[in-house]
Amino acid sequence: MVWLAVAISLALPGAMLLTLDNLRPLVPDLERPAQVSVMLGGELNLEQAEALQRELVTWASVEDTTLVRRDEALAVFGEQTGLSAVLTSLDHNPLPHALLVSPTAPRTDTALSQLVEAIGALSGVDRVIVDSQWMSRLDQALLATERWGLALGAAMVLGAILALANTLHLAIDARREEILVVRVIGGSPGFIRRPFLYTGLYFGAGGGVLAGLMLWVLSLWIAGPVNALFVLYGSPGEIQGPGVGYVLALIALGAGLGWLTSWVASACYFNRLAAH
Amino acid sequence: MIEFERVSRCFGDQDALRNLNLTIEQGEMAFLTGHSGAGKSTLLRLLLLLDRPSSGDIRVNGEPTSKIRSRMVPRYRRRFGVVFQDHRLLFDRSVHDNVALPLVMAGFSPTDAARRVRAALDKVGLLPHERTNPAVLSGGEQQRVGIARAVVARPEFLIADEPTGNLDPQLSSEIMSLFEAFNQVGVTVLVATHDLPLISRFRHRIITLHEGRLAGAPVE
Repeated sequence: MVWLAVAISLALPGAMLLTLDNLRPLVPDLERPAQVSVMLGGELNLEQAEALQRELVTWASVEDTTLVRRDEALAVFGEQTGLSAVLTSLDHNPLPHALLVSPTAPRTDTALSQLVEAIGALSGVDRVIVDSQWMSRLDQALLATERWGLALGAAMVLGAILALANTLHLAIDARREEILVVRVIGGSPGFIRRPFLYTGLYFGAGGGVLAGLMLWVLSLWIAGPVNALFVLYGSPGEIQGPGVGYVLALIALGAGLGWLTSWVASACYFNRLAAH
Repeated sequence: MIEFERVSRCFGDQDALRNLNLTIEQGEMAFLTGHSGAGKSTLLRLLLLLDRPSSGDIRVNGEPTSKIRSRMVPRYRRRFGVVFQDHRLLFDRSVHDNVALPLVMAGFSPTDAARRVRAALDKVGLLPHERTNPAVLSGGEQQRVGIARAVVARPEFLIADEPTGNLDPQLSSEIMSLFEAFNQVGVTVLVATHDLPLISRFRHRIITLHEGRLAGAPVE
C-alpha cells in the first residue's frame, strides 16, 4: 500500500518530465533563430543592396550577412516548387533582393526585436521577417508545461511524504514500549532511530522501484502510437523510455524521501515522548 | 558515589522533592522507602536524568550531572543498570536478546555479547531459558531476566524501582538476595521499595522519604 502510494506520487510527475524530455528533441534549436530575413524594396538594384549589406556588417549586433540575389532566389524557388517552367514565362522577376542577417549572440528576444526595428528603419528595406514567433510560443508552452509538471510533482511528493509519515508514525508507535526501555537504559537517539530509518528507506526505495516499473510499462504501452506519430511528423525520433539513470534517480529520490521522513517523524515522536 | 545536594523538584505548586541532601557511598547498598508520592520515583528519575531538578545538583562520582549535555546523557545512563517493577521486557524477542540489549547498544561484538549474556543469565539461574520467549516465564523469572539485563553490561550502579512489587514474599526475598550478591562484588545498589518487612531482614541502610524530604531531616 505504502509502496503504491509512493510509487504513484513519484510516477505521475516522472511521466510528465519524461514526456517533456521526449518533446525537447523535436524542437531543433531552442535558441532564437540564427537568421533574420530582410526583404529589400523591389526598386533597389544590386549595388544598392551590396552597399546595404556592407553597412549592416559594421553593426555590433550583426555577426554576418548573406546577400541573396533576386535571380538566385527565383532559381531556388523554381527548383523547390517545380514551377521553373511557369516562372520563366514571367516577363520580369517579381522577387526582390534579400539579405540573410545573423545576429550576434546572445540572441535574446529583446536584442532581436531591437535589431529588427533598426533594420526595418533603414531606407530601401521593405520587410524584416523573423521566423521566431512560433518557436517562442512552443518554447513558452514547454516551459509552462514543465512548471506545471514541477508544481504537480511537488504536490504529489508532499502526498508521498504524508503517506510515509503516517506509516512510519504507526511503525514507531508500535514499538513505543521498546523505545521507552531503551531510552532509560542508555540507548542513544541514533540507536533508537536506526531501525525506523531503515523502514523509511525500505518504503521509499521500494516506491521508487515501483514508480520506475510503472513508467517503463507505460512507455512500452504508448510506444506504438507515439512512434507512428513521430513518423507522420517526419521525425526520425523514437520514444525514449525511462533510462537506467532515470529509474535510479527515482529510487534515490524515494529512498531519500523515506529516510528524511522517518528522521523527522522519529524526532517528533521522541520529542513528544521526552515531554511526558 | 551519588550525592544529592539541596535538590528540589517542583511540579507547579507541588514539591515532589524539597531541599534533599543525600549521599550514597561507593559500593554501598541502600533501600529507598516511603509512601506513594513521597518522592521515590522522582528521585530515581532525576538520578537517571529522565528529569532535571528545579534547583540543587546531583553529583555522581563528584561529577555534577547538571553539566551533562543531552547528547552525553545516553552514555551517562549506561553507567546504571535499571530494574523496573513491571520488568519492561520485550516480548517480541527471546530472553537472550532481551538481556543482550544493553550490550548491542554499547557496540559489543555478537560473540562477546553472547558470552556475557550467558554469564548474566547463569547468575540469575535462567541459563536454561536463554532461547525462551519471556512471555511464558513466571513473574519471578521475568524479574530475574530484568535483573540480568540490568547487570549484563557491568554497570557501576544498580537502580531498582519496586522490583518486588508483584512478587510473593519468598520470591521477593530471593530477588533481594540477588541484589545483595551484586553489591558484594562492588556494585552500588539503590532499591526503592515500600516492602518494609522484607528490607528489615537485610542489614543495609534504609533511606526514608516523607513528603519530598528525608524523614527526620529538619524542616527549614
